[in-house]
Amino acid sequence: MSAEATRRIRPVTDRDSAAWWERVRAGELTVQRCDSCGTRRFPARAYCHRCRTAGWSWEAVEPAGRIESWIVSHQPFLPGVREPYVVVMVRPAGAPECVMYGNWRGAEPPHTGQRAEAVFVRVDDELTLIDWRPAD
Amino acid sequence: MRVAGFRDRTAVAGVGYTRFSKNSGVSTLTLACEAILAALEDAGLTADDVDGLATHRVGDSAAPSVVGPALGVHRPSWHLDQFGGGSVSHAVIGQAALAVAAGVAETVVCYRAINARSEFRMGGTGRGLPVSPEVQYQAPYGYVAPPQQYAMFARAHMAKYGTKEEHFGQLAVRQRASAAKNPRALMRTPITLDDYLASRWIAEPFRLLDCCLETDGACALVITTAERARDLRRPPVLISAAAWGGGDSFLSGGPSDVTTTAAAELAPRLYRQAGIGPAEIDVAEVYDCFTYSVVVQLEDYGFCAKGEGGPYAASGEGVPVNTHGGFLSEGYVHGVNHVAEAVSQLRGDAGDRQVDGAEVALSTAQPGYILPATSALVLRKG
Repeated sequence: MSAEATRRIRPVTDRDSAAWWERVRAGELTVQRCDSCGTRRFPARAYCHRCRTAGWSWEAVEPAGRIESWIVSHQPFLPGVREPYVVVMVRPAGAPECVMYGNWRGAEPPHTGQRAEAVFVRVDDELTLIDWRPAD
Repeated sequence: MRVAGFRDRTAVAGVGYTRFSKNSGVSTLTLACEAILAALEDAGLTADDVDGLATHRVGDSAAPSVVGPALGVHRPSWHLDQFGGGSVSHAVIGQAALAVAAGVAETVVCYRAINARSEFRMGGTGRGLPVSPEVQYQAPYGYVAPPQQYAMFARAHMAKYGTKEEHFGQLAVRQRASAAKNPRALMRTPITLDDYLASRWIAEPFRLLDCCLETDGACALVITTAERARDLRRPPVLISAAAWGGGDSFLSGGPSDVTTTAAAELAPRLYRQAGIGPAEIDVAEVYDCFTYSVVVQLEDYGFCAKGEGGPYAASGEGVPVNTHGGFLSEGYVHGVNHVAEAVSQLRGDAGDRQVDGAEVALSTAQPGYILPATSALVLRKG
């Protein structure tokens, strides 16, 4: 199942998210951590949803997590993409209250609760994406 | 909301449909006008009586500011052009009822006109991306369409509670059997569980027969005061409760449990407004963009315990669900046809699919998986 085959849509970054994508490009998986109450959040945005303060810092988290759920997409939703591919929903180990998505790079389909590690996939000079594969 | 100030003060006085098809051959403006005129005729009113218009849409359809002038409604005293999909379908009707209850308008038409198959594929990728900043974290991985998103949550429910694909399948089979009794339904040929299991994969664990239709068509409702509705042509159906719900986004550090929806938080408020509980619901028209959305809502609206939605939906022994065949088999008019069917059941004019003695109905919106918002109505025979 080709993960690359799905990559027909480039992320439209915004003023909140651009720095996060820059860090991914540098090979770092981060979330925001509230300077006041410590709550971690993703995607990037200005205010803490718990204590509503605006101070925050990037926190690098271990590029690993657990599979929360997964699908095998068959319908050609994207033009030119015919072969099935697996999309996983992952809870990062360092921020399990958050979820992230990516394609699966495993010989076998994933299973719920499986430990996984992030794979930084350089698409071109401008863009790196994050896939997931089974953790040994 | 002061419950006593809203409950049963407004009513659905008219219902109108266009034909459902895969290609209407006409504009959404034409569809809207046809359904609205049919709803007004049903109520014994004309467009001269209309002083409010409301719809929900995602940039795909005729706005109230276009439909009003096209029908000669030049000076509406209230209007609503709600951006959004199925999650706000019932919110629009609730908001119209609030406007009527508050005296801002007296006769509001709520409509949804949609060419969801021939022009703007609702199940595809062209539905107004990006509606949320979170899309950027999903679309690059080919995760772009509602069937994929719902399949993801269905899989989590299957893993946690042992919900089976056969549960989804039995629900699809039963809704098709209901559609066979509905002259409006697009899909009336009965199916079996084997047909379900043999249908092609869309996004595992979903097959084709887990997914709703994409439909061209329109549906409209006339909302007015309960008092006035009693003097009109058809038996009034009272709006007992309308509730809105929100909550967390599944990318935003919110819920720890992806198998529970915003409906679980909404339901107690809805029932409190209506002064009833789920045991008093005689018929439930439950937003069925996918089979799983029914399963999870039967739990979150309290018809069965958490985790038992699969067996409950499969058994068919509980509350009658989606008596018109739902989006899976009647057609997809983005929530409004569920309310219209509830009205029909409470009027007692649902023909071969009539639930005997139906007096109270629940109708629900998309339960808030894709964006964190949902809405629902309780209707009562007047």
